[in-house]
Amino acid sequence: MRKLLCGTLMAAMALSASAQTVKIGWFGPETGDSALWGQAELATVQMMAADYNAKGGITVGAKKYKVEIVAYDDKGDSVEAVNVTKRLISQDKVVAIVGAQGSGEAIPVAPIVNEAKVPLVASTATNPKVTVSDSGAVNPYVFRACFTDPYQGKVAAYFASQKLGKKKAAIFMTIDDPYSTGLSQYFKENFEKAGGKVVCEVSYTSGEKDFRAPLTKIKASNPDVIFIPAYYNDVALASKQARDLGIKQLLLGGDGWPSDNLISLAGKSLEGCLFINHLDMDGAAAKPMRDEYKAKYNKNAELNSYMVHDALAMVVDAIGRAKSINSVEIQKALTTCDLQGITGHIKIGPNHDPVGKEAWLIKIVGPDMKFQEKFSTAN
Amino acid sequence: MDQFFQQLVNGLSIGSIYALMAVGYSLVYSIMNFSNFAHGSVIMLGAYFGFYALTLLGLPFTVAFIIAAFGTAAVAVILERLAYKPLRDRRAPFLYFIITAMGASIFIDNSVIATIGPTPKTFPPPLLPAFLQGDPLEWGALTIGRIDLTIFVVAAICLVLLMIFIDFTKLGKAIQATAYNMKASALMGINPNFVIILVFAIGGGLAGVAGVLYGMKYQVFPQMSAITLKSFIAAVFGGLGSLPGALLGAVLLALIETFVSGYLSTQYRDLFAFIILIGMLVVRPSGIMGKDAEDKA
Repeated sequence: MRKLLCGTLMAAMALSASAQTVKIGWFGPETGDSALWGQAELATVQMMAADYNAKGGITVGAKKYKVEIVAYDDKGDSVEAVNVTKRLISQDKVVAIVGAQGSGEAIPVAPIVNEAKVPLVASTATNPKVTVSDSGAVNPYVFRACFTDPYQGKVAAYFASQKLGKKKAAIFMTIDDPYSTGLSQYFKENFEKAGGKVVCEVSYTSGEKDFRAPLTKIKASNPDVIFIPAYYNDVALASKQARDLGIKQLLLGGDGWPSDNLISLAGKSLEGCLFINHLDMDGAAAKPMRDEYKAKYNKNAELNSYMVHDALAMVVDAIGRAKSINSVEIQKALTTCDLQGITGHIKIGPNHDPVGKEAWLIKIVGPDMKFQEKFSTAN
Repeated sequence: MDQFFQQLVNGLSIGSIYALMAVGYSLVYSIMNFSNFAHGSVIMLGAYFGFYALTLLGLPFTVAFIIAAFGTAAVAVILERLAYKPLRDRRAPFLYFIITAMGASIFIDNSVIATIGPTPKTFPPPLLPAFLQGDPLEWGALTIGRIDLTIFVVAAICLVLLMIFIDFTKLGKAIQATAYNMKASALMGINPNFVIILVFAIGGGLAGVAGVLYGMKYQVFPQMSAITLKSFIAAVFGGLGSLPGALLGAVLLALIETFVSGYLSTQYRDLFAFIILIGMLVVRPSGIMGKDAEDKA
């Protein structure tokens, strides 16, 4: 169950037994449907820890600490996420946690880290309720490196209505996934505010493979653009089936789309389609990490690699500024986080979300994902 | 009206896959009187056989298809020999067969997850025959995907051949006789062991065809076997043990699903499908075309 540590780290610890270590927890799906992203995150944090340690560790006041990543698989399951978080805190005594990529896992974990006073920096959990609980109070110990769904929905609606001049939109969402339904709602609100009209809203249940019936409904409503806030695998199935039904309209998506597998699964059906991402994965800012990751693992870094990179960078930065490895001190430093990450400028606002973080519009051209333009607004 | 016909086409294209899968359940049930829940896993293996014959071995599409069908026929027969025959020899209760089938299914699924991994795969379009690569066929406002049309035709050919085999050949008659009464037909010189192997081979072969077609239409992934449970429901709906029943059940279930999700909402789809199924079983416990009212486990 407990997997951790690169071989280099083990060797380093054996050599200098006197070196002090700071434990940082990670959890995410190493198995299950979103295993691809969880494995990419784990590979990234392990790579980063090895890099920090190769330089003698991270600086805390006058001392240097080696970084030890304690990692657990949450299988993309909320119950499992709660269990492993409790274990990270009580058994492994980590000073901070990164990961929690899905909002479905990050939300139930929030009360636990609040009570234990151990900060959590979520990588890609975009639902607003991750940092602000149902009662409207900010979760003091939960932060995130990504922008939120309301922001993403707003950006998508802005692009569709203002930049692309689309008047009628259809929405195809996953009815049992709060990420998808939430993003749909924010898209609809903002699209209609901008003068557009949502002419058709249909859905499917996760795990389904045949979308022809709801897609036929969309076809009959004859929209200008179809918004699909779903994950890459379903997007690939939906786009293929849409093209098979003779739906030729532009498909627009969110940050569930970017994956190395998207285009190989979707074939030509997504040619020219657009989605909102957290960064330009082929851009200059991502290049050093992209190259290092590729050299080390012989795989392309996923979106989650970059996101968890920034999440861990936020924790390390906070430890440096707090000059302490005390969890409460790290939390205080995180509230004033203001750093340039790979995915953009991360300035933590009063709701513990990055304020004014840029969203990137990416276009699918042949086998590539080509950056189009950036957009940022007040949250 | 355009939408109605489009949904009809959608429903028939799903129905033809359900039918190919459902006859496998029905064939085995007619002889052995138990539901072979490992059938879905054999279908999944068929999709992987076809996928790797095409991508790894680089074989032509039709050859890959045939390899998948023979491969799954072999798997189904091996499964019967290893898992079910020992139970038959000991005259174990039918419940044991079902539990063994479920165990075999979990074993096969997890073997694939452990070795190949859970990530879905898609048949690379350039490796498919030229006919399948073009734009969808349009007929007025009606659009039919090339793969959907192919699936319908292949499924129809397979099922017609199967019906001819069962009704007009000596071996087919042997299967019918064994299904009617295994002991009496054994006394008449029909070897029940041979018939059972034959039935598993046919069901397995059709599973391979269904698996490759399903993989082409959607994706190839280890959880496929769970999705084939829908076809089991179709077989029960039509009357387990009856081939025409399995066909009818499959097409009806697919049409109900498609029209409910097309005209109402996807959320109501399974709700309606299962209400109709339960209603059907209350009124006619043996399904639409089933003959006797034994329990369908």
